[in-house]
Amino acid sequence: MLLAGGRGSRLHSLTKSLAKPAVPFGGKYRIIDFPLSNCTNSGIHTVGVLTQYQPLLLNSYIGIGSAWDLDRKDGGVTVLPPYAESSEVKWYSGTASAIFQNLNYLDQYNPEYVLILSGDHIYKMNYELMLQHHEEKGADVTISVIEVPWDETNRFGIMNTDSELRITEFEEKPDNAKNNLASMGIYIFNWSVLREYLIRDDLNPESSHDFGKDIIPLLLEKKMKLFAYPFKGYWKDVGTIQSLWEANMDLLDKDCDLNLFDQSWRIYSVNPNQPPQYICPEGTVSESLVNEGCKIEGAVSRTVVFQGVTVKKGAVVKETVIMPEAVIGLNCVIEKAIVSPGVYVPDGTIIRPDADSNEITLVSEETIGELQSN
Amino acid sequence: MNKRLLGVIDATTVHEDLEDLSLHRSVAAIPFGGRYRLIDFILSNLVNSGIESVAIFPKYQYRSLMDHLGSGRNWDLNRKRDGLFFFPASNTGNHYTGIGTLDHFADNIDYFERSTQDYAIIANSYTVFNMDFQPLLDWHIQSGCDITEVQKNGKSLGIYLVEKALLMDLIKTRNETGYFNMRDAARDTSSQFQLCYYDYKGYAVMVDSIVNYFNVSMDLLKPEVWKELFPKDRPILTKVKDEPPTRYEVDASVKNSMVANGGVIEGTVENSIIGRGVKIGKGTVVRNCIIMQKTQIKENCLLESVIVDKDARIEAGTVITAPADAPAVIRKGTVQGVGSKS
Repeated sequence: MLLAGGRGSRLHSLTKSLAKPAVPFGGKYRIIDFPLSNCTNSGIHTVGVLTQYQPLLLNSYIGIGSAWDLDRKDGGVTVLPPYAESSEVKWYSGTASAIFQNLNYLDQYNPEYVLILSGDHIYKMNYELMLQHHEEKGADVTISVIEVPWDETNRFGIMNTDSELRITEFEEKPDNAKNNLASMGIYIFNWSVLREYLIRDDLNPESSHDFGKDIIPLLLEKKMKLFAYPFKGYWKDVGTIQSLWEANMDLLDKDCDLNLFDQSWRIYSVNPNQPPQYICPEGTVSESLVNEGCKIEGAVSRTVVFQGVTVKKGAVVKETVIMPEAVIGLNCVIEKAIVSPGVYVPDGTIIRPDADSNEITLVSEETIGELQSN
Repeated sequence: MNKRLLGVIDATTVHEDLEDLSLHRSVAAIPFGGRYRLIDFILSNLVNSGIESVAIFPKYQYRSLMDHLGSGRNWDLNRKRDGLFFFPASNTGNHYTGIGTLDHFADNIDYFERSTQDYAIIANSYTVFNMDFQPLLDWHIQSGCDITEVQKNGKSLGIYLVEKALLMDLIKTRNETGYFNMRDAARDTSSQFQLCYYDYKGYAVMVDSIVNYFNVSMDLLKPEVWKELFPKDRPILTKVKDEPPTRYEVDASVKNSMVANGGVIEGTVENSIIGRGVKIGKGTVVRNCIIMQKTQIKENCLLESVIVDKDARIEAGTVITAPADAPAVIRKGTVQGVGSKS
């Protein structure tokens, strides 16, 4: 069950008309390609995608799931939006309520285990190994955790465990953490346990219907067997402009743990079917990722360039992410920015952070409008 | 939607001059332009003209062609009604010759009988162009033509338009008329039919030799040709791969080149077409070359005017140069240079 209803409000105008999981990433992908490809590569062929916020683009992007080989006779991908019942329309008020309202979907498959994922993170993970860990430990619930820097523990849900990795305590964004194992928002539940606790949670009027805030604490209180599954590897929440930019820049690092070129763990996406990129006689490209359909006439370095982008003559683009179909006009200078999809940056525009700042600029229609009115 | 037209692609042609590239594949399946196969042009043109039923008549070495086309999904031809049809020669002893061999059609006459379209386009599989067939059909009907041959500067482009009923007559009476193929029918000046010649003004080249293949590939680097062949509203469709974007390393220097996805470029590339998943090592210079998919060129090589077929490996320090008017060809899957056993 992939939770893809997030709004991603800290991504500002990037998520004005699309949900966070649909935000473009890595020159070719959308964030949701990562969990969906992980499912396919882990041998999971039945995936429910829960959508709520701005679902149009996400729905049409997922389609029948053929890009991820999830167009199946049995199972496959099913988009699960909120729906109306005879008495009322029920919006998904929290992560748990989203799953609760789709108990029918789960009941029809009556699985042994349910994997709950969020559509907000960039990582490659074999969920099969997590399930093995779950079975070996005889767990009711397994939560995937990753070591985070100690000074950032106050941003995460922290799991305190015993020496057997059994979770003894859960602290949401603690000021003085006892541990640096953060929840990745990836859960494996025994289906019977999940079903029971979702129904209990629904009956509790005090609950905010959230896995982290309500379900996990309740399970701990009832002494259920919760285990942590330590994950090693690249994992990033790309919830802010800064972190989205950083994660894109990480891809340019040769030694990055997130290897998009690994044939054995392909990240699948809907392919745009555009002609090869054309680097003009005047163009230069170094330390960059460039996708199909681009035309590069300017100088591009340390930049991630999505499909269908044009960089015109004399333009100098550094340490930037240029999203699909954007155009960088003649003689522009762009540094440390994210250029929104389809934006036309007029000739001669200069966008770079002040000397003493490292702030990443989000270049959108509005930014361009403001620049022009000044 | 173009409910009136059938698309028929003759993929039987063998060009001896293209042998180095067509040992393991039909001419239709020769890689082109970094990510395409030659057949993608005619197939996409048919689909972009709204044609929903396309029949492919292959003969030799069609494994790679079938692998490429699959169910036709990438061209939106995986349909319940109509869609993509595949009619390999039923007997390899048949000596089908020319484009639109009537014998080959006769073996599959059911296809023509069952289809509901009134007209058929019969085309070769190796012309590089981006053409809308709707104006051709309108012209054919308005001019009262029976058989229309598409030409470029007075030379045949190996593309014919004919009413399906007449095509079926031609198939059935081939032994009496002595017409072996569509060209025979379109060129018989004594025939009772109204023969027409439609002059196509756009870019169109039939790829029938290595030199010609090389030159047409290099034409892609001309912005006006690129623009005409790959307009956004009439895309050339192909089998999609899930390659990541191409990665340019610190020392990469790429000028006037087309590069497909999935590559890693550390060296210098000039005036070249680089296929999907190609690796070009540090210190290597690739100039006026066509490098096909998944080929690896190691460090400190020099390649000039070379066509390197798929899956080849050029070992470090190898120098291969040829004159621009007679490009060298490195065959598929071979290893060149130090330690090679070619």
